[in-house]
Amino acid sequence: MATLHNLDMRCPSLWNFCKATRASLPVLLIICAVSHTARSDWTVATAGALSHDDNVSNARTYNDKVSDFSASATVSLSQSIPIGESYSLAAGGALSGQIYDSLTGLRNGSIDGLLSLKKKWGLGAFATWTRAGISLGRSDYQDGYRDATLYAASLELGKRIDERWNLWAKYAYERRAATAGAVEYLGVSSDAFSLRGRSFTANAEYTLSERFSINLGSLLRHGDVVSTAQTAAAGYYLSLNAKAVAPDPTFGPGAYAYRLDGTTYGARLGAEYSLTAHSLIGCGFQRVETHAQGGNNYTDSMPELTWNYRF
Amino acid sequence: MLKRFIGTVGLILAGATLAQAAEMHAVVRDHKGLLVADAVVLAVPVDPRSALHARPPKDAVDQVDKQFVPYVKAIFVGSTVRFPNSDNIRHQVYSFSPAKKFELPLYSGTDAPPIVFDKPGVVVLGCNIHDWMIGYIYVSETPFFAKTGPLGTAVISDMPAGEYRVRIWHPSMDHAEETTGQQVTLTADAPASAEWQIRLKPNIRVPRVSGAASPAYP
Repeated sequence: MATLHNLDMRCPSLWNFCKATRASLPVLLIICAVSHTARSDWTVATAGALSHDDNVSNARTYNDKVSDFSASATVSLSQSIPIGESYSLAAGGALSGQIYDSLTGLRNGSIDGLLSLKKKWGLGAFATWTRAGISLGRSDYQDGYRDATLYAASLELGKRIDERWNLWAKYAYERRAATAGAVEYLGVSSDAFSLRGRSFTANAEYTLSERFSINLGSLLRHGDVVSTAQTAAAGYYLSLNAKAVAPDPTFGPGAYAYRLDGTTYGARLGAEYSLTAHSLIGCGFQRVETHAQGGNNYTDSMPELTWNYRF
Repeated sequence: MLKRFIGTVGLILAGATLAQAAEMHAVVRDHKGLLVADAVVLAVPVDPRSALHARPPKDAVDQVDKQFVPYVKAIFVGSTVRFPNSDNIRHQVYSFSPAKKFELPLYSGTDAPPIVFDKPGVVVLGCNIHDWMIGYIYVSETPFFAKTGPLGTAVISDMPAGEYRVRIWHPSMDHAEETTGQQVTLTADAPASAEWQIRLKPNIRVPRVSGAASPAYP
């Protein structure tokens, strides 16, 4: 354990990653058991991103907004098992890590397991498909009060119109279960980082040339959101409608996080360039606008550079 | 007696003509002057008797690293083609093309039965599991054909001397193959040559990797 504590001191992201791995080991074991039941199709994929968020704190007022750069990397392993002519079962897992430039408390490591069943309503690349999936994950942060277990269930529908146009949509229910703080503030729950939400996304991808494609996505989400305020005035305003309040020292010694009901509208525009048949680089810009209870509205703008490799 | 003599001489002459094998060299370039691989060069004899003795061979299109190998395969009409699967996973090969509609249920190794291609035309191959997989079989009505290599050249050999109508086909060709027709006379003395410059449209394919991401709640 002494070694692990030393690791914690020297490399917090790695320590978080180790914690997440340990917590989710049963999920990986289930995935491995499922994957050995049939001769099937393994896919290993890696992805990386550099992004900037102009409002990491999800704050309404200018004084409470905190912006930061982040870098993330994901390695995923999944196995597709064809069942008959039109169904396929996919089981997979992903390990990911994210580091922030200045908000070091947000550095985190995650592990996720995913199980999905896909049906193709016909033969060929242009057949309509549907997919139902469930996932279970664990995220561990350098500032441990954000640690959470993640549950999600989703339904997807998609159709490739031709070689150029690809359309798909997804409905998801997600739940983030964190541990409530020991002390209640303002007479409400201290479980500010446990969230539930339902979201609907619709996406379109268009291939412009042999190597270049663009994509556009839209988001509608309703559920819990977390907004962090550092100033007393903003905190008071948020507290009037908050369902939970907890200290959030990641953003400063006097910062508090407030859980609210909110509806988020978002859009993302991206472009990808294929370096090889297996890899591509891309850039994207995401803009979301959240309308939270009591007029606590805020926006986020996130440009990013991405890299994907699929073996 | 005279009729039998003339008939015998005629057969000898015909046999001698067939025995005089000729060959044709072809070069295919695109509209920018770059050499084009995977173009099928076809030579149709003006005298159809020249192709009477051709026999359809057995052929194969493999699946390697979730791709059809070769990408373009030219075969003679009536050929039998096997689809061995060299990947360590299962594939489900199909075609919707009018020249040959078929579907091979999920299989691995060499389990799939061979398919007879009995109608000339282009057959587009796909895999129902891996949507990016695409391949082409060109079913030729003539036994005299070849495919250009990476240097954009092809050689059709062992052809009887005579008149031929030659043309080419390529999966990305932006115009009908009939517009590429040329008349060529082959003799046993020296190989004939033919050149084409074709317009290619962008080869838009279903991508193997997609980075398209949905917007997400931050």
